[in-house]
Amino acid sequence: MTNPYQQQHGSAGFTGGESLGSSGLPPLNMRRASYASVVSGAPLSAMTRPARAGFSHILNPSPDSEPLHHGSNLYSSSLNSRIDAGMTRTARNGAHGENNATAHNNGGGDSTAWDSRRPGTNLQWFSRAFDLYMNRNPLSSTGPMGPDDFGFAPTGNPHHPVSNINSTGFLSPSYLRGSVYLKKLEERHRARMLAEREGQAAKGQQGVAASSAVSGSASSSRLASNGSSHLPAVANKVSGAGSYRGVAYDVVEKSPYPHDDDTVSPLPSRWNKDDKEGALEVLGDGYEVKYTGRAGSDHEASAIRADHYMSASCGVYYFEIVVLNRKKEDTPIGIGFSSKVASLSRAPGWEPETWGYHGDDGHCFAAQTVGKAYGPRFGTGDTVGCLVNFRLGQAMFTLNGKELGVAFRDINFKDVKTKLYPVVGLKKKDDHIWANFGQVPFMFDIDGYMKRQQAMIEEEIRQADTSKLVPGLSETELIQQLVLQFLQHDGYVETARAFAEEIHAEKMALRLSSDEPVKDINIKDDEDANNRQRIRQAILEGDIERAMQYTYAHYPTVLRDNEQVYFRLRCRKFIEMIRKEAELNMLLEERKNAKRRSRANLQSGDDEEMLDDTAAAAAAAVSDHWEDEMDVNMAAPAEEEEDEDEEDGVTPASVSKLSQEALMFGMELRAEFKSDPRRETSKHLDEIFSLIAYPNPLKVKEVAHLLGSEGRVAVAEELNAAILTSLGKSSRAALENVYAQTCVLLEDLRKDGGDGAFITVDSVIESIPPAILP
Amino acid sequence: MSSRSAAFDLGGLDDDPALRETILAHLRENFGRMTSSTSTATPFQHVFDKRVADVKAPKSDINALVLDYLIMEGYPKAAAYFSKEANIQPQSEDRSIQARQEILHAIHSGDIETAITALNELDAELLDSNPELHFQLLRQQLVELIRQCNSGDVTPAVEFATKKLGPRAATNRDFLHDLEQTMVLIFFPHDKLQPELAALLSPDLRRSTAAKVNEALNLRQHERAQAAIRSLLRMRTWAENSARAKKVDLPVSIELGLNGENTDYHDGGDEPMITT
Repeated sequence: MTNPYQQQHGSAGFTGGESLGSSGLPPLNMRRASYASVVSGAPLSAMTRPARAGFSHILNPSPDSEPLHHGSNLYSSSLNSRIDAGMTRTARNGAHGENNATAHNNGGGDSTAWDSRRPGTNLQWFSRAFDLYMNRNPLSSTGPMGPDDFGFAPTGNPHHPVSNINSTGFLSPSYLRGSVYLKKLEERHRARMLAEREGQAAKGQQGVAASSAVSGSASSSRLASNGSSHLPAVANKVSGAGSYRGVAYDVVEKSPYPHDDDTVSPLPSRWNKDDKEGALEVLGDGYEVKYTGRAGSDHEASAIRADHYMSASCGVYYFEIVVLNRKKEDTPIGIGFSSKVASLSRAPGWEPETWGYHGDDGHCFAAQTVGKAYGPRFGTGDTVGCLVNFRLGQAMFTLNGKELGVAFRDINFKDVKTKLYPVVGLKKKDDHIWANFGQVPFMFDIDGYMKRQQAMIEEEIRQADTSKLVPGLSETELIQQLVLQFLQHDGYVETARAFAEEIHAEKMALRLSSDEPVKDINIKDDEDANNRQRIRQAILEGDIERAMQYTYAHYPTVLRDNEQVYFRLRCRKFIEMIRKEAELNMLLEERKNAKRRSRANLQSGDDEEMLDDTAAAAAAAVSDHWEDEMDVNMAAPAEEEEDEDEEDGVTPASVSKLSQEALMFGMELRAEFKSDPRRETSKHLDEIFSLIAYPNPLKVKEVAHLLGSEGRVAVAEELNAAILTSLGKSSRAALENVYAQTCVLLEDLRKDGGDGAFITVDSVIESIPPAILP
Repeated sequence: MSSRSAAFDLGGLDDDPALRETILAHLRENFGRMTSSTSTATPFQHVFDKRVADVKAPKSDINALVLDYLIMEGYPKAAAYFSKEANIQPQSEDRSIQARQEILHAIHSGDIETAITALNELDAELLDSNPELHFQLLRQQLVELIRQCNSGDVTPAVEFATKKLGPRAATNRDFLHDLEQTMVLIFFPHDKLQPELAALLSPDLRRSTAAKVNEALNLRQHERAQAAIRSLLRMRTWAENSARAKKVDLPVSIELGLNGENTDYHDGGDEPMITT
């Protein structure tokens, strides 16, 4: 958690170091070495494979294990060209790489060890790559976590040397990022982690608080730099009371997607050692499979399935294998997918409900032993990918990053008895493969493939004719009405009036003759709308007391009937008190620092002058001169500051009075809700009372979100909705209905991997420049 | 479905008084609505509506959609007020929204010459790099000239066409077709035109010309042609069409709920507020 290394790299978003930090295992220089190595250019996909190959031999010596590095050596040489390509790519990405390289030049020149063009260095970089990997065992990370731990490298930077498994073990293949399926998976993962953390919280609380106080400011700035990517957004949604797009208060409520089990089935992440033929052995951490059985076994082939099925909700599922056989000869290896009930004793594609592409003849097979000529043969060193497109009912394979065309069309996924699993079949002794289930970047440009799928659907959407949505209204008119109704509904009185005027002016301009009548839009001077806007404004300014008084005056029953809203308002009042105190503290601190700085500047100026001056005799005179000037300089800012102090009345005494008041109010609050039996109530109270424990909670990222002004928006909207309901009005404007209806319709289109799997409402919102997004 | 027959079906629910009461309350409410208006609301909420009600529509998303729209489509005053009322950071590019709004206004008013001058001031390269847009504007100008000289002296229109549009039309088949079609307007009385030709004289053409100019400007300034709210609306339309094509169980019609408060802001009558 408190990882000094991570702080140096705020904007780079390098998450790899975190688990290293929390595991506490590797010495700092080791970590740097591995990072520098990555930065220096070898694509991760290339370098990690041999690393694993080599590693698995150490960890899991199989009975007939080859001498160390054997397979890896062979394999690595075949990778050299690929690594060179990686070098060039990184060169283009120079700015980024250089920065980091400079930051890590302490790493002892390890980056040069990565130069694969130097003969004989292969083994060396295997071992380095292995360092990077070794310490990120996705399942054993137990360190305390904060919102940052969920971060991934922004998808915008394909060269970012970060694995797709984060420090809490969440697998996030690049091509699925932004999809609702992955968001749901992540929500669930996060909920589980939070539950785990809560369990540990009691014992570990002190430690966390202390360490977070140190790392707070650096980490929060880092979060901000990631803010536009959707993953942190999800993080906010679940991590606490504050979220930049509206707030929900507990994990279950938070999910914008209705849960149903099929759509949150986990991704395949490794081979299933309990779902294989006996001749096979799963090595290492579950990515490698090796044929270790006796030669000439009875079976035609031995297959193994992955741990989880490919959920249709992905829309597209993709995985790759690398053939690690050391001898270049016929490799009767098959890759494909199969149902759970299909036999594993024959090659994928030969059995009912299996589909496969075979290396020994390059044919593809769909549930029969007669295949069709499909692609080249493949073997040692080749990377073979299997892609299932649920939307089109097709499957295809890739070889060393190239598409081989559609292998199977019109697959009727509904007719298959069970879900479909990634499968690989091996036949001969020492057949050996390594699989990439998305944990590191793929060789094939699956992101590009995914984007093309999306582009097709987006084009259809662009062509959609909206004129029938509300008969008689063109798209432009409909949008004007939607916006106007929203503004009125939500009580944006001034905006509604200005907008109506602008629409009116537009219609006046469009008239063909000046005597054509234009209907006026009457924005009724709606007392309710004004009141609601006044109440909202008070909350947005942080003046909860004023908002509550207005509410009591105009809508006396609302707070009585909506105790949840009442509770939120009271809590927010407390939060605002703490916030005010923290802000003033910050101000005082700044002033103190400014004073200190101006003094220090003068002092150092003095020193320099002394150093420069070689004549000791002259020094005395100069020093006198400076003392005079210093007096003048010192006096000026000091006076200014004192003036300011008097102007806004911010003094340590006034702040401490505020702090007293907050404390008093906190006790009042506790007494008021003491008998509330609900767990959320006491949980939320505990959460906000914890704010008192920090000297300045604004600087502590674990709690700073509680103070955020997004919280004001959420409370304001809750109250507004409650007032609307009390007036018998719909709590939602039509525009909000459009939003919600679209979400539900897409959800329906997402089942079975249809078009909806490829697009989200979020993507529309994210197209809005961040300057507008709050 | 009548609520009376629905009430009959409730016989079996007697053993759960709470549920029964809820349903009856629902029925009463809907019955009231049905008698007081011509609403066709069904007494039971479709599961789709229930799901919609459960989806959060975050205010910050909605606010962003609205502000984005006001800025992208040239409503500077409303955008400024909205930033203030919704507490969103005020935009830094007020000046360019204003300039854009003036251009759009000139096109809406049929004053194309002013619009072209202002466009060149705002972004000198825009028209040069986009001959289609330039042609569309000039043709709009021709339409306005023809409109002005209806049954009068047509010389200015013909002169303008030969001088400004002719040379361009020679380079592009589509341009040529558009020009020929427009020139026909000169020879026919405007009150007896075929729909296709009448459309050229309708204010809708001004609107669409203005929209194209706006899109081009947005592309240059924001790298996006259209406001996100348009994408949302089209996504909504497309999603409903696709879902119906896939036989997803949906209510007969999915109301946007625009009419709920419609009466609040137009001066009487039930017809939509904005008519063209």
